[in-house]
Amino acid sequence: MYKIAFDLAWKSLIRRKTRTLMVIMMIALSLSGLLFLQGLYDGMVSHMINTSIRSDSGEISLYAKQYRLEKTIDYHIDDPRAIKAYLHQSKEIDAYAIRLSGEGLVATAHKSLGATLKGVRLEDERRFGDFDTFLFQGKFDFGPKKQEALIGFKLAEKLKVTTGNRLVFTAQDASGEINAISFRISGIIKSGNLAVDEGSVFVSIETMEQFLALPNSATQIALRIKDKSQVNSIQSMLQKKFSTLDVLRWDELYPLLIEMRDMMDIFNWLSYAIVFAVAALGIFGVILMSILERMREFSIMMAIGTPYKNIRYQVISEAFIMAIAGYIIGAILGLGFLVYTASSGIDLRYYQAGLESFGLNAILYADIRYHYFFQAFASVFFATSLSILWPLHVLKKIKPIEIIQGKML
Amino acid sequence: MKLTHISKIFFPNSLKEVKALVDINLTFEDGEFTTLSGESGSGKTTLLNIIGGLERPTSGSVFIDELELTALSDKQMADYRLRHIGFVFQAYNLISVLTVRENIGFIMKLLRYDEAKINKRIDELSGILQIEDILDKLPGQISGGQQQRVAVARAVASRPKLILADEPTANLDSKNGERLMKMLRSLNEKEHVTVIFASHDRYVLEQSKRIIVLEDGAVIEDR
Repeated sequence: MYKIAFDLAWKSLIRRKTRTLMVIMMIALSLSGLLFLQGLYDGMVSHMINTSIRSDSGEISLYAKQYRLEKTIDYHIDDPRAIKAYLHQSKEIDAYAIRLSGEGLVATAHKSLGATLKGVRLEDERRFGDFDTFLFQGKFDFGPKKQEALIGFKLAEKLKVTTGNRLVFTAQDASGEINAISFRISGIIKSGNLAVDEGSVFVSIETMEQFLALPNSATQIALRIKDKSQVNSIQSMLQKKFSTLDVLRWDELYPLLIEMRDMMDIFNWLSYAIVFAVAALGIFGVILMSILERMREFSIMMAIGTPYKNIRYQVISEAFIMAIAGYIIGAILGLGFLVYTASSGIDLRYYQAGLESFGLNAILYADIRYHYFFQAFASVFFATSLSILWPLHVLKKIKPIEIIQGKML
Repeated sequence: MKLTHISKIFFPNSLKEVKALVDINLTFEDGEFTTLSGESGSGKTTLLNIIGGLERPTSGSVFIDELELTALSDKQMADYRLRHIGFVFQAYNLISVLTVRENIGFIMKLLRYDEAKINKRIDELSGILQIEDILDKLPGQISGGQQQRVAVARAVASRPKLILADEPTANLDSKNGERLMKMLRSLNEKEHVTVIFASHDRYVLEQSKRIIVLEDGAVIEDR
């Protein structure tokens, strides 16, 4: 029975090529669009998360208690050497960066703005998050006398400075004295992390220790974890070990990113629902039409004794053969789009200013995840099942003779 | 086959009420070649549909070999039609996506005949009905006369007890109509299959061994 129904469904599809191809292409194009959108949205969010992790927080960061609330060097980590020694021998930690930051005023001859001066070791930052790849202009270096600085590109724009220009940074040191230090800009950083690009100046940590009168101190120790799935357990373990410090995950440090990810998920689902509804309506319409236009044929089949079950299997087989073919073509097309977009990206430099204001790169890269394809398969399966319910209901209700009677009476 | 007190009313108790059949009592013997005749609206097609289990009477019963056809469920009725009745419709009604060969073999396939038996029967029938050259064509690629012969082949392929043909010559020219009737007559004689027509075609009536004339849903003549 199944074989006959499948055979009939197959012949019906093969011998009505235009209709079959139309449905398959409709499913395939909708599906590839879905996959592409999903990958692109995820890629945008991943990019933001990734740049924040690479340029600042790592997967986990250690701070002195209260530092995150007060943002003052009164709450700093004293003598981080013991922590450094532990991190150095820890198998779970891939890289770490020790930073000493202070809030203050950065000024040129014409303008001054609030900013964060971050004392870092460039080699550590390179290992930590390929920080050198964020260099947008100039050189990745603090100069032979450690009197040069890297500056976020947005801050540079606001201050109207470029490489080679001088800056003066004024801040309160550990003793409460107001100190000022002058730097020449060696390079401009464009990380995609708004906090870095809009408000950070990077200098050598040794210079910073002297400037703040805080030798052998840190305000943040950021960690890169080898196995990302272990972040929570490592956080708990570190919190126990360094109970006098705050041990925070990247998502606790960047709650806005999580909100943005959730918002993107909503956009993602909305787009998914719209494209899915369009695809489902399309499949529904074409399958319903294909059944309605063959109502006479089905009636004749029933009249000569073909069981309804057989016709139901035929309709189901037709719909699912088209759905599976559409899925395979759509998945291949979608994968193609995703692979291309993941490697070459979509160049939106025309909208660069707008995108960068959201912390997005002007070239958007897509993510590729296995679950897209399972999700897409489930969607096609669901849409196809929905699409055939009504036509099957219509078929079950027909009285063959009423359809044929038009000719018979 | 015995029909007892068959009546059929369409749209009962409404302004559109039509008494299509009124207290029909008939008996058909095996191997008959009978035509139900009468003007349009006389009830001949309705009677044919009731005999074929495509329609249920408002009252009365149809018995075939002790089996009360009218008491069967829709599913049982479909199974009965599949196994015991062959239909030839006025508008040929072949399955458009199947070739002539596949159309003829369709009912046999549903009845799970083996492939060799199906092919043998198709070859045999295509010879009798002179459709050997079109076996691999689709219905849309052949003429109306050829399509009707294919419909006859499909109807008789599984050797049903009964063939019901509703105006089988109505869409054919006289030459093709005569040719079809001769073939059906020959099948009736060779395979001893009972054939009942609903028709007012003069040539069909001439070829019939028995003619039942209906008027306003009642039998007015049986000769």
